[in-house]
Amino acid sequence: MTVIFRMVLIVMSFGTMGYMLRKIHQAKMQIEESLFWFLFSVLLMVLSIFPQIATWATRLLGMMSTSNFIFLFIIFVLLVRMFYMTLKISQLDDRLKNFAQKMAIEENLREEQAKSEKNTQTCTNSTDFANDGGENGKHRLEQ
Amino acid sequence: MKSLIIIPAFNEEMNIEKVVKSLRENCPNHDYIVVNDGSSDHTADICRKNGFPLLNLPVNLGLAGAFQAGMKYAYIKDYDCAIQFDADGQHLAEYIDDLIEEMKTGKDIVIGSRFVTEKKPWSARMLGSRVISAAIFLTTGQRIKDPTSGMRLYNRSMIREFALNLNFGPEPDTVSHLVKRGAKVSEVQVQMQDRMEGESYLNFAKSITYMLRMTISILIIQNFRK
Repeated sequence: MTVIFRMVLIVMSFGTMGYMLRKIHQAKMQIEESLFWFLFSVLLMVLSIFPQIATWATRLLGMMSTSNFIFLFIIFVLLVRMFYMTLKISQLDDRLKNFAQKMAIEENLREEQAKSEKNTQTCTNSTDFANDGGENGKHRLEQ
Repeated sequence: MKSLIIIPAFNEEMNIEKVVKSLRENCPNHDYIVVNDGSSDHTADICRKNGFPLLNLPVNLGLAGAFQAGMKYAYIKDYDCAIQFDADGQHLAEYIDDLIEEMKTGKDIVIGSRFVTEKKPWSARMLGSRVISAAIFLTTGQRIKDPTSGMRLYNRSMIREFALNLNFGPEPDTVSHLVKRGAKVSEVQVQMQDRMEGESYLNFAKSITYMLRMTISILIIQNFRK
């Protein structure tokens, strides 16, 4: 690895971590979700400060250059993370769908209930009037 | 003190009735509310049939979301304190008044702890508890003997924090954060039972991830919070 590449890696990992911690400070991210980014930026930092680890792994896998190994490694980690995100989004989508459907059905049920209550109320009212024996009830029925 | 017992319940049809009835018998002076966390079984039906006060979440939010719903209710209804109480029968209603007495001495959070006077066993299960205790001690300087106990009493100012903010799950890392911000936390000895029926949420692999998550959160990430 060249010195510049290492420097880029170091700056990048510090940047990631700094940005992430700032978002936590502003209470914009859930701690559970930030754990991945924390571990990821620590990993980048370790690899940039101790490139021997990456060199050793590169030789072990018989790859051409250390930077190739690091690219492959990062791509793989991000792929796994992306898969996990897709999973999460699917679940969120499903929950949102369920939530909206339940809300709609419950609203419908409540309206129906309110309507039937209203109907029985007007019925008893008119019979009250009728039982009054008086003009009011008849008048109302005629109308 | 006007107190609310919050009982988050997810698929607890086998336990919820027994738990709430014992609660009613042992502490008739306290209000309580069951938060049904989108259960797929008959938890909500059982609550309705028995006339238990119920917050019925239409989707599953997880423990933190369900408990926060209870805290929001407590905040809106202006309760003086709220207690987190498990629906699986682990927590015993007899001890609730002990916790409330302790809160009257000016505490913000009172934890129903298994290890104040009793010794913590050296089992694999308690290893996680020890690691989390150590992490809290390192960052706050306070010894909390039973950080993973789910039986905690919160006062009015804590209810506000839990009701309105992100990252206030009912977990040890939140307790650690609050201690650091000056909350007074103490522990009261309680007994706990093994859950009555059904399967516990935590298996071995999950316990390990839970412990790691809590430790990293307490040791590092909590330091950057406001």
